[in-house]
Amino acid sequence: MLHIFTYHDHFYLYDTGSGALHECDEKTARHFKGEPVEMTDEEIAQIAQLEGEGLLNKEEVKAYPMKSREIKALCLHVSHDCNLRCRYCFADEGAYHSARETMPFETAKAAIDFLLQESGNRRVLEVDFFGGEPLMNLGVVKQTVYYAKEEAAKLGKRFLFTTTTNGLLLDDDAIAFFDAEMENVVLSLDGRPEVHDAVRKTVSGKGSYAAVIEKIKKFVRSRGDKHYYVRGTFTAKNLDFSKDVLFLADQGFDSISMEPVVTDIPDLQIREEHLATVEREYERLCDEYLAREEKGEGFNFFHFNIDLEGGPCLSKRVSACGAGNEYLSVVPNGDIYPCHQFAGDKKWLMGNVFEGKLNGEIRELFASSCLFTRKKCGDCFAKFICSGGCNANNYHYCGDINTPYEMTCAMMKKRIECAMHIVAARKSREN
Amino acid sequence: MIKTIAKPAERKTEGCGECRSTCQSACKTSCTVGNQSCERVTREQKIEKK
Repeated sequence: MLHIFTYHDHFYLYDTGSGALHECDEKTARHFKGEPVEMTDEEIAQIAQLEGEGLLNKEEVKAYPMKSREIKALCLHVSHDCNLRCRYCFADEGAYHSARETMPFETAKAAIDFLLQESGNRRVLEVDFFGGEPLMNLGVVKQTVYYAKEEAAKLGKRFLFTTTTNGLLLDDDAIAFFDAEMENVVLSLDGRPEVHDAVRKTVSGKGSYAAVIEKIKKFVRSRGDKHYYVRGTFTAKNLDFSKDVLFLADQGFDSISMEPVVTDIPDLQIREEHLATVEREYERLCDEYLAREEKGEGFNFFHFNIDLEGGPCLSKRVSACGAGNEYLSVVPNGDIYPCHQFAGDKKWLMGNVFEGKLNGEIRELFASSCLFTRKKCGDCFAKFICSGGCNANNYHYCGDINTPYEMTCAMMKKRIECAMHIVAARKSREN
Repeated sequence: MIKTIAKPAERKTEGCGECRSTCQSACKTSCTVGNQSCERVTREQKIEKK
């Protein structure tokens, strides 16, 4: 399948079967759209040559044998409590529709034991400390990291740790620990102070920007070349979110992610009528992203990364995030869910780390679910890049993990086109 | 005329599983599998460069 798209005055052809990206002139783009244009012999020969090289109109893979895999990643909900009350929080402002509680070390230890036992031949395992706010239970985070490293070493395995935090409790002790132990730290910050404060409020209802910004900046300065992401959320209230991304870059952050909100709160939800604005905003961001890069002031925007020449293997491309299969979530009492976004919904309860056994039916549903079980994805150019989207988003918006939500798809597709244009612009700059 | 921008390497079929789970990267809501590189290849390239 060939995806023909334009970005400003550039015409691109993306071949989904091979993953090759080409730039062409308007006439060639029109030819591939089936319009009656006269192609020269030379042009026809070039098309034939690219087809022969498997870079154009290459047949797509149509099936892949999915299977249950060893577990390689756990999201540990070390705190079902939070010191913020963000309006759009999918986790019921940190409580996950249950009592506010933190995870005892015994549960975290059992989760690590469970992961090591279920990880088969996998050598690299991952644990993500999540909440609520994980820094409200830093003692258990530390104990868990030290325990996991010790146990993994005995088996010739190793852990990569990640923490997602709102930054409110980031003190020198937490910073030193994160720098020493965390492979990645995700810091929640929405952008301009007024945007952040409108939704990310303290328990007393005050905006939290002033309370977190200097702490996050200090942490990022200490981070050196280790991974971090400043991660924001945009809502219907800041459809001009490119300004927030650029504001974050202006604060000195060079690794930024900005996600569309997942909510049904009417004044925050991004709806179909917002789509054209959101798409324009991605373009605006993309243009400025390239302009800054050219001036030597570039930064990394998560969704504008794309590896067209390498990229993940087919297995990963069709199996998506691995939730419910190789990636699971564990809540404070040890209950296991397919991922953090299903946590607390008893319908999706898969087991408990103290018992070890997983619900076969849910596991099978997730293990067999892949790009090819998502019928809507069949004729989409982005399928081998987005892998059919987020299971949880699909379920929450469409009631089925295999039915992608069209709004999410539309935004994803726009980001991918921007990312492809960035690859082309960089190539052109190199030459 | 057509100018090829990106020529992908042959897609490996079977995953080694040594890469990070997508959801751990940054977003936690709208993961994009294809924006990642193969971590094993990246690691090997880093070693070669050294």
